[in-house]
Amino acid sequence: MKPPFFKRYAFVLGVSIIAGIAIIIQLVRINYTTYASELIAKSEDYQGVNKLVYPPRGTIYDRTGHILATNQVGYELGIDLKHVIDPESIAFAIATLVEDVEYADVYTIANTGQREQENRYFVLSSYVSKEIIQEIENLEENYALRRAETKSIKPSLNGLVWTPMSQRAYPEGTLAANILGFYNYFSRETAQGVYGVEEAYNRLLSGKPKTVYMPNDPYLVETLPEINPGASLVLTIDREIQKMLEDTLVKAMDWSGAEGGTIIVSDPETGEILGMASTPFFDPNKYWEYQETFSGITPYNRAIGTAYEPGSVFKVITMAAALDSGEVTPESTYNDFSGVFWVDNTWPIYNWDGGAWGEQTMLGCMQYSLNVCLAHVAIDELGDELFYHYLQSFGFGRSTGIDLASEANYPLRLPDNNQWVVLDLATNSFGQGIAVTPIQMVTAISAVANEGKMMTPHVVRSVIDQGQQYNVNPQVINTPISAETAKTLTDMLAIALEEEASIALVEGYRVAGKTGTGEIPTELGYTSSLTNTSFVGWGPADDPKFIVYVWLEKPTISKWGSEVAAPIFSDVVEKLVVLMKIPPDNIRLGIANE
Amino acid sequence: MKTNLIQAYKQAPWRIQLQWIGLFLLGLVLIAAITGVYLNISAQAATSGRMIQFIARDIDDINNEIAELTTGLARARSAENMLKRSEELGFDIINPAEAVYLEIPGYNPEDYVVLAPPRVSFISESPIIRSAYKVSLWEWFKERIWQLPISVDQPLEEIIP
Repeated sequence: MKPPFFKRYAFVLGVSIIAGIAIIIQLVRINYTTYASELIAKSEDYQGVNKLVYPPRGTIYDRTGHILATNQVGYELGIDLKHVIDPESIAFAIATLVEDVEYADVYTIANTGQREQENRYFVLSSYVSKEIIQEIENLEENYALRRAETKSIKPSLNGLVWTPMSQRAYPEGTLAANILGFYNYFSRETAQGVYGVEEAYNRLLSGKPKTVYMPNDPYLVETLPEINPGASLVLTIDREIQKMLEDTLVKAMDWSGAEGGTIIVSDPETGEILGMASTPFFDPNKYWEYQETFSGITPYNRAIGTAYEPGSVFKVITMAAALDSGEVTPESTYNDFSGVFWVDNTWPIYNWDGGAWGEQTMLGCMQYSLNVCLAHVAIDELGDELFYHYLQSFGFGRSTGIDLASEANYPLRLPDNNQWVVLDLATNSFGQGIAVTPIQMVTAISAVANEGKMMTPHVVRSVIDQGQQYNVNPQVINTPISAETAKTLTDMLAIALEEEASIALVEGYRVAGKTGTGEIPTELGYTSSLTNTSFVGWGPADDPKFIVYVWLEKPTISKWGSEVAAPIFSDVVEKLVVLMKIPPDNIRLGIANE
Repeated sequence: MKTNLIQAYKQAPWRIQLQWIGLFLLGLVLIAAITGVYLNISAQAATSGRMIQFIARDIDDINNEIAELTTGLARARSAENMLKRSEELGFDIINPAEAVYLEIPGYNPEDYVVLAPPRVSFISESPIIRSAYKVSLWEWFKERIWQLPISVDQPLEEIIP
C-alpha cells in the first residue's frame, strides 16, 4: 500500500532530480563551451591583478652622509571618464593649477560623449607636485560646499583622480650633477639612469622589480609583498669640497674667459675622487632640459668625457719614465744652445718662448718647461720602445676604469702604427700629438704622488644593500715607477715651483706640480692662438694627501697655464687643506717629530 | 543445562522515532558547529586579509611621507642653504691663515659615513629553530631513536647503567 501523498512526494522528487540534472548540465556546458575561457578570464580579473612593483630607487649619499639623490612623491593626474559629471569645472581647475595643460585639451577629453559607455582613463599630467594636489583637494571641498548650498550636482571634480608615484630628486640642485648623472623617471617602464653614477650603477640602484599578485578577495590576501629596495650608494665625493670646486670653477671661468673647465681633486693613496667639477653645470631635477645644456658634442662630464692635448703637464710622465729607467738623473744636463731640437733632421722642435736656455739640468728642464730638452730625453735617452712602454704602464691608450658612465678614451698611436712618425715621439714627450682625458692624467700622475702606485679612480665608497654596508677597497692598477723615482720627481717638481716662485705655491704647504699649455690643433694644424691651460699638483710633498688637476679650455685672459691654471690650483689648495683638515707643514711635521 | 534467552519484544515505535530524531538533531548540531567554526575562521581570515590590505596601503602612505620628509630635509640642509643660513647667523668662511690646529691625542675621525652595519659572514653553529618545531611527532620520535647510542656490537649493560 502506497503511503499517503505518495504522488506529491514523487512529483517533488522528480522536479528536484530534473533541476539537479539541469544544473549539472549547465555547469558542464559553461565549462566546455567557447565562452568558458572568456568567463574564466573575466572572473580572474575580478579576483585580483598581477602588478609589477618597482622597488624604490636607492639613495646616493656623499662621503659624510649628505643626500645627493633620493626619491620624492609626484602624482599622476588623470581622468576616469566613467565618473565625470562636470567637464567644465575639471578643465578649469586643471588649466588653472597645472602648468602646460590647456583648458581646451582637458575639456575635449572630459567631455567625450562615450564616457558613460566606456570605462576609460586618460593621463592629464605626470608628476604633479603635492602642493598642486593639495590645491585640487581644497577646490573640491569648496565645490562640495557650493553643491550642498545650491543642492545641485555641479560644480564637481568627480572623475579627476591622482595616483602617487616615485620621482627622483636631487636636493643639492646642480651640485655634483656631472658625477651623479640623472634618472629619466617619466616613463616607468623605460626609466633608467643616464650618465654618471646613475647609469654606471643603474642595476644596483634600481633593485629588482617583482610581479606581485594583488587579490581583491580578502580571503586570498595572505602576506604583504616583500620588495627589496634598490641599493644605496655612499660616494667618495665630499660635498663641501665639491661645492668649493664648483664655486672656484665658476669664478675661474668668469675671470679667464675660458670656454669650459674642469677641476678634479683625488686622494692619490686610494684613488678616491673627493671632488670633480666640470662645466657646463646642469640641474638633474629638470633632466628633460638636458639637450639645451649639452648641445652638440658638449660632454656631460668633461673630466672623463673629453680627450685633449694636455701640453707640458705631460712632461711629468716623460720625466718619470726617464728617471725610473735610469736614463737620466735630476743632475743630468742638456745643453740647449740653439733653442731648437731637430727630429730626424727634418722637423724642428722649439721651446715655448722660442729661446735657447743654455745648459740645464733635468730640474731646470722641468722648471722652465723646455720642450727641446724633453724631446731630447724621449728620443736620445729613452727611445720609442721604452717611452711607449712607460706610457702604456701609466695607462694611456685605455680607460682608467672609473665607475662613471661614458668615459672617453683616445687610442695611443704606437710605433707599429702606420701613421706613427718619429716626430710623434718628440711631440708626445711634451704632451702634444697625444689626446688624454683629465681623469687619465690624474690617475697616471697619482703614481708619482703615491710611491709609484697607480690606484683605480673611483667615486663609490660603499654600497648599502639589504641592511649591510659593503665598502669598496682601493685597487692598485699598476706600479709604473718605483717609490724612489716618485719621491725624486716629487722633490724636483716641488723645488721647481719654489725656485720659480710660482703663483701655484700655497703658504705653509710644500706642494709639487707642473703647468701645462697645450696648443689646439685645427684642420690646418696648430694655427689657433687659443690653448688648453692645465696644472697638476699634489701635496703635502712629503706625504701627499691630495692631487689636484685644473684644466681650462681656451681662456682669453692669457694663453699660459702658469698664468691661468696655476693660480686656480693655489686657490683650490688653500681652501682644500682647511676642508681636509691638513695642518700647515710646520705644525704637522712638528707634531710628527714630537 | 544451558538455556539461551531471546528478547521477544520489539522497541516501541515512539522510542525508534525518538532515536532517529535524536540522531538527526545530533547531525544537525554537528553540522551547525562545523559551520559555525568555519564561518568564524572565514570571517577572521577575511578581516585579516582586509587588515593586510589596509596595512599595505598605510605602509605605502608612510613610505611616501618619509620620502617627502627626507627630501625636504635634504633640501633644507643642502650646501647652498646651509651656507646661506650660516651667513645669516653671522658665520664666515674661514681664512686658511687664521685656522688653528690642535692636537687631540686619540682623536681619529672617520671622514666617511657608516649608514649600516658592515657586511659580516655569520654562520650559525646551531640551528635557530629547534628540530622539535620543524618535524612531525613521528619524525621527531624516529630521529630520537636514531640518535640513541645503541650499537649491535655493544653489550646492553654498557649503555644502560
